[in-house]
Amino acid sequence: MSASQQANAIQKPIQQDWANREYVEVITCSIKKISDFLNSFDTSCRSRLATLNEKLTQLERRVEYIEARIVKGQTLD
Amino acid sequence: MDVDALKDNDVGEVMVSHRTRSSEECMMASNDKVTLTEALHNVNVLDDLHLPDQQPCIEALSLSIHYQTNFDTNFEDRAAYVTGVARYTEEATVHSELNKLLEEGKEYAVMIYTWRCCSRALPQVKSAAQENRTEIYQKIVEVMEPLVSKLRDFMHFQIKAVQTFCGEVRRLCHKEKRNDFVSEAYLLTLGKFISMFSELDELKNMKASVRNDYSAYNRATQCLKLSVDKNHMEDSHTLSMFLATQNKIRDELQKTLVAIEGYEDLLADIISICVNMYENKMYIEPNEKYMLVKVMALSLFMVDTPTNSIYKMDQKKRISISKIDRILKELEIVPLYGDMMVAPYQYIKKSVNFDSSKWPECESSKVSPQSNILAHLEPIRENHMSYISQLSRHSNEALTTMRGKLRSSTTLATSRSDAENKDLYELALRGLQLLSSWTQQVMELYTWKLLNATDIHSNPNCPKDAETYEKSTRYNYSSVEKFAIIEVIAMIKGLQLLMLRMESVFMDAIRRHIYAELQDFVQLVLRDPVRKAIKKKNDVTKVILVAVRETCVDWLRGVEPQGDPAMRGKKDPDEGFLIQVPRRNVGSSTTQLYLVRTMLESLVSDKHIGKRQLRKDLNVKDAQNIEAFHKMSFFWSYMLNLNDSLHASCNLSLLWFREYFLELTMGERIQFPIEMSMPWILTDHILETKDMMEYVLYPLDLYNDSAHYALTLFHQQFLYDEIEAEVNLCFDQFVYKLSDQAFDYYKQMAGNILLDKRFRLECAHNGVLIEFPKANRYETLLKQRNVQLLGRSIDLNKLVGQRINAALQKALEVAISRFEGEDITGIMELEGLIDCNKLTHKLLGQFLSLNDFDAMLREANHNVSAPYGRITLHMFFEISCDFLPNYCYNAATNRFVRTVHSFVEEVRREKPHHIPHRYIWGAKTLTSSFSSIYRQYAGFVGAPHFRVICRLLGYQGIAVVVDELLKMVNEQLRGPLTKYTATLINSMPKNCRLLRYDYGSPGVVAYYQAKLEELIQYPDLRTEVFQLFREVGNAILFCLLIEQALTQEEANDLKQSAAFQNVIPKPFIPRQDGQSQKEKLELVKSVMKKLEVKYQALQVVPVIGQLGNQQQSTKAQEGDLLTRERLCCGLSMFEVILRRIQSFLEDPIWHGPAPANGVMNVDECTEFHRLWSAIQFVYCVPVGENEYTVEQLFGEGLNWAGCALIVLLGQQMRFEALDFCYHIINVYRADQKDENVKGIQIKKMVNRIRKFQILNNQIFAVLNKYLKADDSGGVELVRNFDPKPQFIGSSDSFQTSFV
Repeated sequence: MSASQQANAIQKPIQQDWANREYVEVITCSIKKISDFLNSFDTSCRSRLATLNEKLTQLERRVEYIEARIVKGQTLD
Repeated sequence: MDVDALKDNDVGEVMVSHRTRSSEECMMASNDKVTLTEALHNVNVLDDLHLPDQQPCIEALSLSIHYQTNFDTNFEDRAAYVTGVARYTEEATVHSELNKLLEEGKEYAVMIYTWRCCSRALPQVKSAAQENRTEIYQKIVEVMEPLVSKLRDFMHFQIKAVQTFCGEVRRLCHKEKRNDFVSEAYLLTLGKFISMFSELDELKNMKASVRNDYSAYNRATQCLKLSVDKNHMEDSHTLSMFLATQNKIRDELQKTLVAIEGYEDLLADIISICVNMYENKMYIEPNEKYMLVKVMALSLFMVDTPTNSIYKMDQKKRISISKIDRILKELEIVPLYGDMMVAPYQYIKKSVNFDSSKWPECESSKVSPQSNILAHLEPIRENHMSYISQLSRHSNEALTTMRGKLRSSTTLATSRSDAENKDLYELALRGLQLLSSWTQQVMELYTWKLLNATDIHSNPNCPKDAETYEKSTRYNYSSVEKFAIIEVIAMIKGLQLLMLRMESVFMDAIRRHIYAELQDFVQLVLRDPVRKAIKKKNDVTKVILVAVRETCVDWLRGVEPQGDPAMRGKKDPDEGFLIQVPRRNVGSSTTQLYLVRTMLESLVSDKHIGKRQLRKDLNVKDAQNIEAFHKMSFFWSYMLNLNDSLHASCNLSLLWFREYFLELTMGERIQFPIEMSMPWILTDHILETKDMMEYVLYPLDLYNDSAHYALTLFHQQFLYDEIEAEVNLCFDQFVYKLSDQAFDYYKQMAGNILLDKRFRLECAHNGVLIEFPKANRYETLLKQRNVQLLGRSIDLNKLVGQRINAALQKALEVAISRFEGEDITGIMELEGLIDCNKLTHKLLGQFLSLNDFDAMLREANHNVSAPYGRITLHMFFEISCDFLPNYCYNAATNRFVRTVHSFVEEVRREKPHHIPHRYIWGAKTLTSSFSSIYRQYAGFVGAPHFRVICRLLGYQGIAVVVDELLKMVNEQLRGPLTKYTATLINSMPKNCRLLRYDYGSPGVVAYYQAKLEELIQYPDLRTEVFQLFREVGNAILFCLLIEQALTQEEANDLKQSAAFQNVIPKPFIPRQDGQSQKEKLELVKSVMKKLEVKYQALQVVPVIGQLGNQQQSTKAQEGDLLTRERLCCGLSMFEVILRRIQSFLEDPIWHGPAPANGVMNVDECTEFHRLWSAIQFVYCVPVGENEYTVEQLFGEGLNWAGCALIVLLGQQMRFEALDFCYHIINVYRADQKDENVKGIQIKKMVNRIRKFQILNNQIFAVLNKYLKADDSGGVELVRNFDPKPQFIGSSDSFQTSFV
């Protein structure tokens, strides 16, 4: 009896270690997922911001052009 | 990560500091406590968020956040495994110390490798008398001290490392222990030491700058007389000796080793294990492979001493030289450190008992297979293809099932079976091995090429004075090799990305698989050997087996199954003894794995444990099982660190680092130019050849690799800065070249699309091929909006867009400049060029955001804020300076052609110089093709030109041109023409009658000739006067033709705008049987109504009325009205022009004085039509053989001018009635006398008169048509005059009507 108790006492930390490490893995894995998510979020945002930026630039250029056209109208009047 | 720290937390509830927000269903209640399950669920639903990234994936992985976990404890937790065999726990302790030393060694290697010479930058003391020399020396010492202290540390480290190593060897070679078991991992670590020593040694040999720096420091200290301390003196002496002596470390090591008895056996073991691992591919990272080879060669060199020949060892089968021979040929050159490489065989050659006959492979002259990447390319491709398809199957599966599971249940455990986990594990392992093998291919080729530089004989392109580095890189690769490297790099980077994307899935499966394998092994497989050991009372074996089991067993519910018969050495009951093995999502810890593997290895090893070979205690099957497990578990540590392994086995940073070659230049070069840099050589190769365009971002990614390692491995800011500088330069070049190419490509495409198909065919028949540009996928590149380079996110699309915008703008400007260098016919090519650019714009506009094309055209035309642009101005310039004075109109062809003889100065135009073809038509062949097409239009000005003018000038431009033309006509009419008219009328006789028919035609001709003698002889008549009239006539014709062209264009526009104006064509409805006409009409009406309703949304006016404001609505209505009106009453510009010209004719000279008879002048030559009759007489006189006719010189513009003036002056009837020539023709008709009157052949003259009469009639008809249109009612006013008695004339009675 005492032998088996002893064996159990030895093995308990190992068993506990497995459980703990599994827990750590689960957390690590989740952090990994969060970082993956953030990365793809980053890429996606950048690409969308780039599109937005492009649209704004185009509008700006358009406005500039139209302004130049209008100024001509005024001088002629 | 510290595992112990987490021990207190049980799996259960944890506090999450911030409330996690996520989508849909997982909204938390208002309490701030989040359970672990909920937290994990929150993380899992992140997968559901849709994060679109539109760009095609053609670049390597680049992460903003790189999350890497490292559970390697370096045996810190060894004490926890109390159940392990004490001996191996001790070994772990030693092992951990050795690992630390290895780490330290790596740092010193980095230090030496990245050492840049300081002494060259130091100010030199020129003479002993220099005033500030002490100050200089002090500064030198101050600056160099930290560096020198590092060198000193390095020396001490090296001594310590050699001592430790030799201490270990001595311990293992002790007489008692000589036959004892030494674990594979331990031997390998010793091997690593040997490799480290050789690295440090070679680095130290190579870096002359280290020695120079140290001697500079030494000089300074000596001059300052700082080193008075004796210890210090000695130390510095040893250090300089250490630095100056070549191969100091190796020699020292060998000297110490030789003194140890039996060291050869240990080294022989190391060699065998290296050979074994190399042959069985027991490595993952490329560097490990090279380490094995280096260790083999170096150990052989160490073992080979005068007393102990390696060839004898070979005979004794301790080592196998033939195997090593083959390996050393296979890998002739291996990277030593960074860009330093070493030929391992050279070590052997230097050994004491070297015998070349034993090394047939290495001695043979054949080229090592490592230099030939092309031979490996096809298998690599095949492997890539098959692996990618496998991977994508799993990836899709993982994606769909994971998503599905998340929805269906909240449990975290996936229900993947053991077999599936195993599949995934093997897939990941295979992927890792493939990646590593491809990386090896590239690295091996690269290192081979570095050492085997090209020369002028093998590569004629290599200049004589090429630098060493250049010879190794720039000129050392053929095009095919470059492509092969690019392709392999792309495969590596591409697959790495795919695998990293699946990392979570892989990791999950790997951990579960390893756990299952391990637990199954210790709980089930090990039962048999344990039973046997107990039964046979093999205590040692039993102890080890039980230790293995207890080190890592994880019983179901934490309780060992009671009464296992195997533990008592008994047989299982017949129904079997059931042990349920649990499953977890966790792998073994590093120490655990090490202990288990070492203990198992000791069981099956040939060596002794204590006094016996334990292998004999096991039966064959058990031994095989254990061996299989041992072999399989070798890769577990790599697989548990998949992320790390993936990065390490795809590390191609070596391709940029060149510290060794920089050192070789002895300070000549601070850094090599980009042309010699491998990443740029590869990138540029793609850009230059335009092949494999989609791969172009992969070689650029090499910079990411290098920069990453510069910071994380070398810890050197300056290296990073240099990489960054190079990347800045390269990227600029890259964008520049890419945008140029994309522009060229689409421009050529547009040019080819627009090129006449038949022309192309004809050219092909004649052997001239005009080909479309080779299809290329620029669009994938152009769609890249976030290219990752050195941590920056670059919007490639935007950058290229900017440049292409500029290029298009330039192309438009070039088109206009070209037109400005040409005459009026150049307008045809201008339109073509604008169309071509427009098409290019359209093609590129699909991928890039370009400026509005019309806006660009206006800008190029300088027409944004000015009312008229360059095209209009040049058009007007051409019309006034070239077209009006030099062109001759011909009604038959309706064209103008250039006169045979010009009366004005030739026009000078500035032709633009040296414009690249890319801005014109895109390519040389296209430019010449289009030039020859448009040359067809260069000889004349006709309807096509006028239509193009209408399109390009627009209403505004035409208005300006016409207005200016009118001004010119005004000037001509009021200025020179009035003067000439007055002079000419004066030179005419006062009276000139229409002679009676009795005189006969010769008489009439002679009469007029005599009468008009003075006018005919007037010198300016045939030149100046005709020229002036021609210009006026051409101006009128121009206006007429432009109006015609405009009308055509407008009709076209109207047709196109019909849909928006509610003009719907009537549909054809066949009449049904028995349907009356009325019914049919009703039907048509209803269909029309339906159509109107259908297209209601298209009608501009009502739509704007609904949606726009009052002002817009009014404008729309007015516009619509104008458009409709144009159709109905045909507003004519030409009529207005004629009226304006009419208003210029105020001078009385045109009309002459009022007739004396109160009715009309008959014989008096006072009115303009009289003058014109005289002029007509002049040009109807036939010309001599070599003279130009008036048609050739002036064309019909002359006639148009005369007739228009006559009509506008209201003298048409009088002209027709009283004209001299018409009279001649009438007389000639009556008598048909053909004579030569003073050189005038009457028949010929009459023929000419006939032609001109017809022409005049045509002109009158056209003019009257336009003018009459305006007359109210169109009724001619006729006044009748009674014939007066004094009227003496022919028998004909006159009844004149005039308007």
